[in-house]
Amino acid sequence: MAEESLRVDGISKAYGRTVAVRELSLEATPGEVIGLLGPNGAGKTTAIRVLTTIYAPDSGSFAVDGIPCTKPSAIRRRIGVLPESAGYPLDQSGEEFVQYFARLFGHSRRSARGIATVLLKEVGLAERASSPIATYSRGMRQRLGLARALVNAPSVLFLDEPTLGLDPAGQRQIVALISEVARERGAAVILSTHFLDEVEEVCSRIIILNRGEAIAEGPVADIKRRAAPQTAKVRVPQEVHEDALSALKRAPGVADAQSTNGGQGWISVTLKGAPDGSENGLNAPIRALVEAGIPILSFELEGGKLSDAFLALTGEARE
Amino acid sequence: MTTLAQGEVRRATALQPPTKAGGGWLVVAGQELRDIWLSARGPGIVVGTSLLLSLLTYLAASNEELNIIDQRDTVNLVAQITMALAVAVSLLFTADCLSGERERETLESLLVTPVPRRQIALGKYLAAVSMWPVLLAVAVPYIWVIRESEGVFTDAMLGGLLVGTLLVIGFASLGLLVSIYSGSNRLSLAVSFFIFVVLLAPTQLPLGGWFGDLIVQINPMTAGSTFLHRAIVKEHGWGEDVDLLIAPVVWAIVVSAVAFVAAGRLRLQGSLGR
Repeated sequence: MAEESLRVDGISKAYGRTVAVRELSLEATPGEVIGLLGPNGAGKTTAIRVLTTIYAPDSGSFAVDGIPCTKPSAIRRRIGVLPESAGYPLDQSGEEFVQYFARLFGHSRRSARGIATVLLKEVGLAERASSPIATYSRGMRQRLGLARALVNAPSVLFLDEPTLGLDPAGQRQIVALISEVARERGAAVILSTHFLDEVEEVCSRIIILNRGEAIAEGPVADIKRRAAPQTAKVRVPQEVHEDALSALKRAPGVADAQSTNGGQGWISVTLKGAPDGSENGLNAPIRALVEAGIPILSFELEGGKLSDAFLALTGEARE
Repeated sequence: MTTLAQGEVRRATALQPPTKAGGGWLVVAGQELRDIWLSARGPGIVVGTSLLLSLLTYLAASNEELNIIDQRDTVNLVAQITMALAVAVSLLFTADCLSGERERETLESLLVTPVPRRQIALGKYLAAVSMWPVLLAVAVPYIWVIRESEGVFTDAMLGGLLVGTLLVIGFASLGLLVSIYSGSNRLSLAVSFFIFVVLLAPTQLPLGGWFGDLIVQINPMTAGSTFLHRAIVKEHGWGEDVDLLIAPVVWAIVVSAVAFVAAGRLRLQGSLGR
């Protein structure tokens, strides 16, 4: 097996004049969960459809387990997919549904039965295996879709918005399953989602797409650091308010300091930010006030969450 | 959610698929046959056809006053109705088979399996045309009851089998072709049924002159229908009207060839009527 489960080199896909994905590159190793983030229309679903051989890329290439994209049928044997809009045959039972797909992947009837039993147990549907899918809740259907995507023990699992429309309990179940699949089966998981909480919980790396382009890529912590706080709010006693303002304005890591309109000792501090992206710059106001002997009643950083990074990078924060 | 014991995980992952998955079309066909015959669709159509043929046979065989047409004509009518129903049902089944999957959002899951697209289409096609032998079998006792001789029974069964098979192959392929390109199921069913009605209508019209003869010759429905009528009612030998089989044969070959070439290019989204 190749070291990388998935290698993508500059794939692009356009619909007419609209470029949906532009020169996307990524690598995924076994057991890794990569989050694919982006606003609506960013190109996440198109990227997944290219990588799952539904669409051919206009340019660039990719390989799954070393199998090039010029062999789509061989790639389909190595991947599992839970599409964004996965429909289900409502009159079939969950068991029949999974067995059918196992047989499409070349399993015998007996083997397909065994696989359906194991997978439905794994996703927590063993007790409802013989019930018609029509009686399943949305969360159960998503877990069934996940079971179906695992019938071929895939090297790479593509999940397009798997928790969309689920209640918090359903979301937690799916997220836990994704972690389990990556950990115990060693599958690389490409998870497209809007839910940043689940990304922070389950993904080791993320790629943020905007208008078809990857505008940020890396470990979650690195991306969060890019949205390191630019402003802080400090509260000092009223009687040392002016001293505090002077001390802050002189501090090396502070670009500006202003009294806020509300008064009561609140000061808004604009930070320069550390050039190396470290958090040292965040301490500048505190250090300046401590050195000036001014007591700090309150200190709040604004920003520093993945959602801040996402909004800042996709430009929505400015809108 | 259940966490599996390590042994179960190993067993599940050990169940690796064979390296080649031949016969995907058989798996698809098997599933589609279950969908048709173990649901209300297939049995419902069979019961409906039986009721219609029962009424006709009753009028023809048991009540001399109500029996207003010749027995050979009645046999021809039963054969023609059975054939037209089988053609219509096969056409509508194939017209639904891929555009319906699109509409129900189940096509993408099917397209990411290793089964080639042409095999997916073939499996669905074969299940759809399964209606024809069943409806022909349903017609057997009715034709047997109203026959006036062994000869007319043989003519009706063999002629019906030949013409019906050619027409079902052609029209089911037409439905498949429309379904491959249709963005919506409604469009696929409407276009397919419209073409069927346009081609069926001349069989009910008094066609005469050179233009009428031309229509009879080039329209597979009229050609097939006329062939069957002459074989059953006019007792023509098959060799006498073999030219009438040209249109149904060409229709079956050309449309099915085009449909299965197009099936290899089956897309997630249909290009028509999106």
